[in-house]
Amino acid sequence: MTRRVIMGNHAVSYGVMLARAQVIAAYPITPQTQVVEFLSEMCADGRLAAKFIKVESEHSALACCIGAATAGCRTFTATSAQGLALMHELLHWATAARLPIVMANVNRALAPGWNIWCDQTDSLAQRDTGWMQFYCDSNQEILDSVLLAYRVAEKSLLPAMVVYDAFYLSHTSEPVDIPEQEEVDAFLPPFQPPYFLDTDNPRTFYPLLGPEYYMEFRYQMEQAMEKALKAFNEAGTELKTIFGREYHPIEYYRCEDAELILLTAGSAASTARVVIDQMRVKGYPVGLMKIRLFRPFPGQELREALRSVAKITVLDRNLSPGIGGIFAQELKAVLVNSPKHPAVFSFIAGLGGRDITPQIIQQALEITLANDRPVAHSVWLGLQEEMINK
Amino acid sequence: MRDEGKEIPKKLPGMIVSFADMAWNKTGSWRYLKPRYENKTPPCSAGCPAGEDIEGSLRLLAGGKILRAWALIKIENPFPRVCGRVCFHPCEAHCNRGEYDRSIAINRLERFIADAATQKNRRVPKPKIRRRERIAVIGAGPAGLSCAYHLTRLGYPVTVFEALPQTGGMLRVGIPAFRLSREVLDAELAELLAMGIEIKTGVRLGHNLFWTDLKGFKAVFLATGAHISRNLAIPGEDIPGVYRGLEFLGQLNSGQKISLGKRVAIIGGGNTAIDVARSALRLQSEPHILYRRTRNEMPAFNEETIEAEREGVEFSFLTAPARILARAGQVSGIECLRMELGEPDESGRRRPVPVKGSNFIIEADNVVAALGEEPELSYLDQEIKVVRGLVATDAWQRTSKLRVLAGGDNTSFRRTVIDAIAAGKKAALAIDCFIQERGLEALWPKIQIGANGAFSMRQYLKIKDRGKTRSAEIVNLSQLNLDYFAPAERIKRPALALDERRQSFKEVNKTISQELAGQEAGRCFHCGVCNNCENCYLYCPEGAIYPQRTGLGYRIDYDYCKGCGVCMEECPRNAITLEEEER
Repeated sequence: MTRRVIMGNHAVSYGVMLARAQVIAAYPITPQTQVVEFLSEMCADGRLAAKFIKVESEHSALACCIGAATAGCRTFTATSAQGLALMHELLHWATAARLPIVMANVNRALAPGWNIWCDQTDSLAQRDTGWMQFYCDSNQEILDSVLLAYRVAEKSLLPAMVVYDAFYLSHTSEPVDIPEQEEVDAFLPPFQPPYFLDTDNPRTFYPLLGPEYYMEFRYQMEQAMEKALKAFNEAGTELKTIFGREYHPIEYYRCEDAELILLTAGSAASTARVVIDQMRVKGYPVGLMKIRLFRPFPGQELREALRSVAKITVLDRNLSPGIGGIFAQELKAVLVNSPKHPAVFSFIAGLGGRDITPQIIQQALEITLANDRPVAHSVWLGLQEEMINK
Repeated sequence: MRDEGKEIPKKLPGMIVSFADMAWNKTGSWRYLKPRYENKTPPCSAGCPAGEDIEGSLRLLAGGKILRAWALIKIENPFPRVCGRVCFHPCEAHCNRGEYDRSIAINRLERFIADAATQKNRRVPKPKIRRRERIAVIGAGPAGLSCAYHLTRLGYPVTVFEALPQTGGMLRVGIPAFRLSREVLDAELAELLAMGIEIKTGVRLGHNLFWTDLKGFKAVFLATGAHISRNLAIPGEDIPGVYRGLEFLGQLNSGQKISLGKRVAIIGGGNTAIDVARSALRLQSEPHILYRRTRNEMPAFNEETIEAEREGVEFSFLTAPARILARAGQVSGIECLRMELGEPDESGRRRPVPVKGSNFIIEADNVVAALGEEPELSYLDQEIKVVRGLVATDAWQRTSKLRVLAGGDNTSFRRTVIDAIAAGKKAALAIDCFIQERGLEALWPKIQIGANGAFSMRQYLKIKDRGKTRSAEIVNLSQLNLDYFAPAERIKRPALALDERRQSFKEVNKTISQELAGQEAGRCFHCGVCNNCENCYLYCPEGAIYPQRTGLGYRIDYDYCKGCGVCMEECPRNAITLEEEER
């Protein structure tokens, strides 16, 4: 093991190198570019024996990965915001083709107006494409998530996205333990696909599929998501025995006796831990649930974890226009059939790279504490209301 | 889903894949357009009067096969060393690369290939004379010798009659050594004569050779050139110190001493004028070209004019001589008139009109009149028609008299070496067709290159062009897939330093290195010609193209080719043609 101070983008590169990716295709976009820039250096100097394919768009990048994965290769691509949006058609394709492609998506706001800063709407908008999504809040978690992503993806034959916040993580340096290659090899054996392009055994891949079989294949895909949830828990536990770090779909912080839970994802969770500690000092029974796995969504676990909680504050750094914060929606959807479920207070903050400060998080918790029922569908925090035309 | 004998599992596979291959589904039956490899005509070849397979020789050169490149050129043109030096290279003007960045330096490459072959002691083999019909050629210049060369290779015994004591015609008397060294000229001529061509020098038709003497020959080719300098037709033309351009060059090139004064005025704007001026410079005089029109209307090759300017030749445009002045019986100057350009004349150039009262004097110790040349045709038989001072011929150099053909400077106003070579080659073809009783008109479309009268001797000899004939379609830039090409700099031409040029008659241009030649040949687009780049194989979405070379291109499996046309679209050089499927 080596410890290095590296930025989140390079944590991804190290993860991909250690995973021994065989084909990498990408198109540059801020704030992702450093990921593949570093990988291309690794390919050039021989540290990574992968084919690096330069392409003319993100659509082509993912198309290359789809082709290479169909040939049985371990593949990787990285993107952000508009780039991910351009991949949309092929995101569906990769899933239904059951290709365990791994992608890093740096959460960046969608244009217009042009904005390269942090916002989670880009990846959350792809929730129905069938990609797994792992949200990170540290550079160590980013590196480990890349390894986890390959392991779970290849187990379930579903593609996976490792997602992390623009600049707060992508360009911020932190100490990261870089595991040894043998350790990673033990955790991640070579990819062995059930079917791959093979001239000795010709088959048609992804042919016409009529109403007589289509639904069955979609059902198998949905089952694979369930399998993936289990595989994630197993792999996250196994990781501890090798690297000493453990990962599960939800991370609990001071939740044991909490009456109010704050739920969020991404780097805001780091800030939230500080706020939780401060509130605890003041005597408030608050805890934090950091949601790591967005797809498959850990609904059952959430229902059980929140059984005895009265209120939950959801902080969303994203927006689904017309309905509000996406994590809040998802949470409401899994809770609605539980007979006694907590009131869900939805807050939106930090869009387009605005800082989510400890004050903002504290404000969200205070509003939740002061009211029995949510005061609005979603409350926007840190809004410069005086500037808004009403 | 058919199973082709394989058992279908009861459960669905984990991925959306077929259980068996789909080879039974011969998708070729869906095709209504069919691709086929078809080589077309590159514009360089069509632009070369001699129809050289330039693309083919550059492909061989780029592959390091210099001698094969040379052999390919030699099939069409006996004079690649000469042409590599003095040809005005219309091929380069037609090169598609010229519209893209800069044309290929074809002329330089031809010189490299030919010089390299000489260096490796490669000579054209002596052909077997297997025919009995004797052919007479009158004139041992490029036209006559080209005709003799091709006829000899076709197996005919040929006799060449030359009026001058030496062979070479205008190549020897008209072109100065700094453009074409005597060693190179002599070597290339010697190579031809060693093939078994009988040569008789000092024999002039109408003087010591007569039409009755030619009765024993099955055909006669008249290649007597144009050697009479046009008169100035102004007072003072006969003053000592006044030369005619060709006379000046002839004396110089035959090693006679010419005494020149300091200031030499040259009248004219053609290649002779430029050659005289550049020669005078090397004789330590100060040449001054007087031309009655402007730089734009000069008929001299631009490249040569540029060199003359760089070397320090002075030019006065819109200047016409009115009278040559003398002092003590020697030339002392020229009285000139200032001209202005009027309406275009029949040549399309604007006619120079004198400005009244604009007379002025240019001082000169010598005057050289280089106003162009005319053929001497007094020897002609009455049956042979003459039009506008030229022997009249049809498209295949045949005169109005049966079995008599003519070509070169005596039949055309396009007085270039390559046009003369082309005329001689065409005459050889016409003579062979006449003797073998082949219908030339019917045969022509199968061997012609482009529409400017060039043809392929290789096709005529039925040497296999990788099994296929090229289509007559000339490929232009818009028909190429430029995505596959990148701009690349044209080679710089190595030449003698300017300060060295006045010191001798050493060749100004130098032969390029093999490395540069390979690099330059690598710039060739190979317009319309398959060079087995494999792009079609890589792009065929059906996998119906196999990387197995056939005579031309690769094997296409028409059982599966759907006729989508991707191969044709992605062919960088338009060597695949898509045709309607006939069913």
